[in-house]
Amino acid sequence: MSVVQITPPVRALVRKELREYRQHRMIVLTATFLPIAFLFLPVMNLVLYDADRAIGGVDFAVGQAMFCFFLTPVIIPATMAAYSVIGERDQGTLEPLLTLPLDDREFLAGKVLAIVGPAVGATWLIFLLYYVMVLAVVDDPVRGAALDPAWVFAIVLMAPLMAVFSTLTGMAFSARSKDVRVAEHLSGLVLLPSMFPILLVVTNAIPATVLTWIVLAVVVGLVDAALWRVALRAFNRERAISTV
Amino acid sequence: MKGAGPAIQLIGAGRSFGERVALRPLNLSVERGEVFGLLGPNGSGKTTTLRMLATLIRPSRGTVSVLSHDVVEEAMAVRRQIGVMPEKPSLYDRQSVDHNLRFYADAHQVADTESAIRTALEFVEMSDRRQERVGQLSKGMRQRVALARAIIHRPPVLLLDEPSSGLDPSAAAAMERMIRELVRDGATVLMNTHRLAEAERLCDRVAILREGELLEMGTPRQIRARLLGNVVEVELAGIADLAARRAVESLPGVTDVSWEHGGLSCRLEDADRDTPDLVARLVHANAKVHSVKQAGDLEKAYLELMSRGEQPEPELEVAA
Repeated sequence: MSVVQITPPVRALVRKELREYRQHRMIVLTATFLPIAFLFLPVMNLVLYDADRAIGGVDFAVGQAMFCFFLTPVIIPATMAAYSVIGERDQGTLEPLLTLPLDDREFLAGKVLAIVGPAVGATWLIFLLYYVMVLAVVDDPVRGAALDPAWVFAIVLMAPLMAVFSTLTGMAFSARSKDVRVAEHLSGLVLLPSMFPILLVVTNAIPATVLTWIVLAVVVGLVDAALWRVALRAFNRERAISTV
Repeated sequence: MKGAGPAIQLIGAGRSFGERVALRPLNLSVERGEVFGLLGPNGSGKTTTLRMLATLIRPSRGTVSVLSHDVVEEAMAVRRQIGVMPEKPSLYDRQSVDHNLRFYADAHQVADTESAIRTALEFVEMSDRRQERVGQLSKGMRQRVALARAIIHRPPVLLLDEPSSGLDPSAAAAMERMIRELVRDGATVLMNTHRLAEAERLCDRVAILREGELLEMGTPRQIRARLLGNVVEVELAGIADLAARRAVESLPGVTDVSWEHGGLSCRLEDADRDTPDLVARLVHANAKVHSVKQAGDLEKAYLELMSRGEQPEPELEVAA
């Protein structure tokens, strides 16, 4: 991945984006609802765990719960990234924005950071709350499996990489699409199958060890680097401001 | 700021979109401190020219530079030197005036953001609206905020796309006054406009484009003279006597003299050269000159030019 300096114009863009989210009540509401749901569903799943009736045992139940935490950094950024370029064009703010002293890399970096930051923050926060709630209300042996340090390692490591993956995918489509709905649909189509490797780990088809997560992190990191190049190539100022 | 060349220069600059030619090779030079107007009907290439200067699109041929920085090779340097005001205000409606301006000030790395915002808002007379959401402002006020945004980093070159589009007469007059003040402070302005009276008052020079082709370029006065002829109208106090009539009609370079009650109109060979002589002769003949003005206006000249390109309607054959 080519290095991008977080220059003052990039920081200004990030601040502007975050202000936009905050002042758009529906964005905040819809983006908050999902993490809240993804916090309570896993906890309920573990609280209600019944060893006699559960399929796949404790590890499978914990894996199911954990899948929510891997989905959060993918789902939240996808729609926001799909909106990022084409949305600016639709609200008529793209032209003056592109006359700012930001090159293409800085422009995309600002947009990526403004999406990845809150998505990762929300993921880590709900995981922290999950951890505390499991400690408080879940009994062993489920508690022991749920609080396995490998899961903490996985979430800390994978959440940023997954968020970057989702954001860059959405942004590449946003830069090329002429309609925000098309960008969202295409992002969804690509992102859901890409969760398959994570699904294999959380369902124990591949053992969820620290080594597994390191290998997955390297793979996703490499994919992110390639996606950065794709998004950069997909972003074309003339095409972005054109409506046809 | 590089060198001391023109503020804006296009050398053989053209732009095509696929098969469609949006702008044929254009040579244009705007001096520092000049107000230059691009006129023409929709689709004439005005916005394409402005977008090339704003580094939003690249020229297909030729070169385009702002303060000697090439818009393709040195796009970042150009972006630091320009302030752009698109036709629509293009502001973040949910954000306050302050936040809209702060973003642009920070992105341009303005040294003292607070002072820059305050000064820009004072300039557009919007200081009391600083905390209001842009979406709650009227069109005229949003245009003012857009102008404040364009000048927040005190750029030496301003690119204004229809700055008074959709504004009521008083808001348009205020916009015109602000542009004049910016030029007085040293800015160079290139503006697209459909308001020909505004262009005539504001612009040092104008270029008239049609279908991507440059038809005319010069001062409004030169264009009027070329298209409407050097006809001047002189307003006199009372009726001109015989001496005054003889003095005018015998002046070399004066033709088509037409005397009316309280004045005359005539065609001059060279308005700049002959007008002072004409006035001097009238005064010498004891005529009281109230005013002298060139006949017609830029709008009339523009319409004349546009009508020249129109194809005559095919005659219908009437069946016997």
